[in-house]
Amino acid sequence: MADDLTTYEENTWCPGCGNFGIFNAFKNAVKRLEMEDGISRQNILITAGIGCHAKIFDYLDLSGFYSLHGREIATAQGMKLANPQATIVAFAGDGDAFGEGIEHLIFAAKRNADMTVIIHDNGVYGLTTGQFTPTSPEGFKGPSTPFGSPEEPINPLKLMLVTGATFVARGFSGRLKELTDVFVQAMKHKGFSFVDVLQPCVSFNDTYKLYNSKVELLSQPAANVDEAMRLTEQTEKLPIGVFYQAEAPVYHENLLGNWNPTVQRATRQQRLQSIKSLLEKA
Amino acid sequence: MEKELFTFIAGGTAGAGIRKAGAVAGYIFTQMGRRVFEMEDYQSLIKGGHNFAVVSSATYPIQSHYMKADLVVATDKRSYDMHKDHLTSGGIMVYNSDAMKDQQIPNGVGVAFTTISRKYTNSELRLGVGAIAALAAAIGMSKDELTEVIKSQYRDAENNVNFAMEIYDAVAPQLYAKFALKKSDAKHLPMISGSEAISMGAVAGGLDFFFAYPMTPASPLLHYLAGHAKDFNIGVMHPESEIAAINMAIGAASMGLKTMVSSSGGGMALMEEAFSLSGMAEVPVLAILGSRPGPSTGVPTYTEQGDLRFALNQGHGEFPRIVASPYSMEEAFYLAAEMLNMVQQFQTVGTLLTEKHLIESRMNVDIDVEKTQWAQPVMYTGGDEKYLRYKLTEDGISPLMFPPSEQVVKFTSYEHDEYGLSTESPEMIAKMHEKRARKEEALIEKLKQMHTVNVFGETGPLIFTYGSTTMSVLEALRCGNIQARVVQPIYLEPFPVWEFEQFKEESPIVVEQSVMGTFETLIKDKTNIKAKASIRKYDGRPFDPEELAQSIKEVL
Repeated sequence: MADDLTTYEENTWCPGCGNFGIFNAFKNAVKRLEMEDGISRQNILITAGIGCHAKIFDYLDLSGFYSLHGREIATAQGMKLANPQATIVAFAGDGDAFGEGIEHLIFAAKRNADMTVIIHDNGVYGLTTGQFTPTSPEGFKGPSTPFGSPEEPINPLKLMLVTGATFVARGFSGRLKELTDVFVQAMKHKGFSFVDVLQPCVSFNDTYKLYNSKVELLSQPAANVDEAMRLTEQTEKLPIGVFYQAEAPVYHENLLGNWNPTVQRATRQQRLQSIKSLLEKA
Repeated sequence: MEKELFTFIAGGTAGAGIRKAGAVAGYIFTQMGRRVFEMEDYQSLIKGGHNFAVVSSATYPIQSHYMKADLVVATDKRSYDMHKDHLTSGGIMVYNSDAMKDQQIPNGVGVAFTTISRKYTNSELRLGVGAIAALAAAIGMSKDELTEVIKSQYRDAENNVNFAMEIYDAVAPQLYAKFALKKSDAKHLPMISGSEAISMGAVAGGLDFFFAYPMTPASPLLHYLAGHAKDFNIGVMHPESEIAAINMAIGAASMGLKTMVSSSGGGMALMEEAFSLSGMAEVPVLAILGSRPGPSTGVPTYTEQGDLRFALNQGHGEFPRIVASPYSMEEAFYLAAEMLNMVQQFQTVGTLLTEKHLIESRMNVDIDVEKTQWAQPVMYTGGDEKYLRYKLTEDGISPLMFPPSEQVVKFTSYEHDEYGLSTESPEMIAKMHEKRARKEEALIEKLKQMHTVNVFGETGPLIFTYGSTTMSVLEALRCGNIQARVVQPIYLEPFPVWEFEQFKEESPIVVEQSVMGTFETLIKDKTNIKAKASIRKYDGRPFDPEELAQSIKEVL
């Protein structure tokens, strides 16, 4: 699938993997942002955790940082603080965002870090051969839970709503157009945007049939958090689209004001001058 | 006769203003043209307990506090009990007579600190001011001079001045001008802590953004840099954990910022995975490791050098690491800037290893800010068809470019090809390993051109030490009147073995604050030089120069 957003790296996702849908929808979203919103691809920086999802970093010909398992959201916040003009997207698996690195997810939402998190939520650790994750259903059998997972799964959207995320959405890797729309809106949102993408794993947790029969596009976001919370509890139908969106002050502006650390760096002489005057007072 | 060396101890509960009194005493001595070393001893609690500040001063560049004091001001009974044996001959104990009724105190001057302070609001908080008033009387300052000091150093000057005058009047009959201190016309040098020295040095060297989670005794760096972020025009963030701090610092560094983190052993242990990330992704970051007695939570507010082996081996896997440890506040200032430059030049992680004793003690410094290094990485200047983040070069250093940029820049934690895409190719894995190994060689070549080891003294027996323990050793030699050569490696990784060739036929005394002698082992492993004697202290307290001098004499 050669195009100018794809690198030369050999694609090693399983045939039929839900990651292809996320990959294609994301590339479409980047092209749309370039055409419709004047956001250049050079200004879109990506980061990823570790797992099947994260291979998207090697396949997308965009700048950024292939981070550690669970740490991509911390890496992303460092990148954003360094240069607030950049649009930052963190790709994460349900294992690393809700397991190993959940602290960073919660705090990024809490402080309304201006960035987008895209969760490749397949309910399984694919690359380590099929263990249960924080979003696997109770009873899920994998190599680490041969008799079934003894834990209830977490509800990612609900978690993000109570934590203070200002853009909460769900997508399905099998619905390319709707997923592209959600990605575009998430990346344009000023503040912390969270997209939980339902993604079948054809090798360890094939949910295509289930999701195809259940997903249903929301006509519009919920009017408030309470209503959005109720939407996240639906199980008969699985709503996709934007659940909730709000405006709120963003972290980098709260911390730094309008100062851009990369562009408005203090010169050596300015630094030496301020140190001299502090030493004179010491 | 005028006294050359003079030591003042102020003791009291936490919250009594004792630490502030230590700083103000330092200010008074500095104004007399004297050089000061102040050590603060405090417990891991907020109110109560026992805090004390030891302020030693002299007209020469003093490098340690002394535990034997000429004047002790004990604002509570616990302070009296702790310091009653810490008087020099001729030393005077000023004690709180409210807390010590009916007791005969030899060489003691009783003051009703509690009764007098109760006339004022926040009476507890003022006891430190009382200690300063007693000091002023003892060294023969006038009431006007004391008033000026209080006004310039304390808030709520009116009440503090009134309180100080009452204390002064109460002690003066027995205490006035008991000590005459030698003065000098030397210029008044600023008095700063090690944490301030490191912070200012890093800013001078180009620090753009600092990320840290609080942990004693590294927190003073966070507090100082956060307090001065606007003066310096830098960013400072206190995130959710040490893991967040280091990963954010590395993320920000991948955008071209010069970043730094700090913690003590436990927090640094949490950062380990990201240290290795810095090594693989070749993203520079500087870490300040402030040691306290370990292992584990250990003893938070005291000092030790038990983290040496840990510091040398930060991060899993093979990659170049840089570890250096300053001996003094001045060296800490310059070294912070130098280390920031080193990690930028070699695109890896560096650790500035230090101890509570350096971070939280204060001394006068003679700093020329113009002499600091300015951190400058090797930047890409074009010429390639496509930018290669991990271009294979002769010295292993691939020129940097930072996004957002026309060309794609890919940083990664995976083994990678030159462009930055993951690889499992055996040839590429080997080539990238060799590239990072060549950086290590280039780093060693660079260190060979640099000043990596301090040697103090020209004749006499040989003493090896490092970090702030060096100051203790140097002061011990002075007070014990011992001629010796003191060798202190500033850089510990890569270890400057070439500088130790000259000592290979000798057997040094090794002094360190460690129970297992990690530094001695390092010396032996790296240089095959075996110690003839070891002096180790591991009770959380820094060496006292007189005791250390005695220990050195015993093994000479």
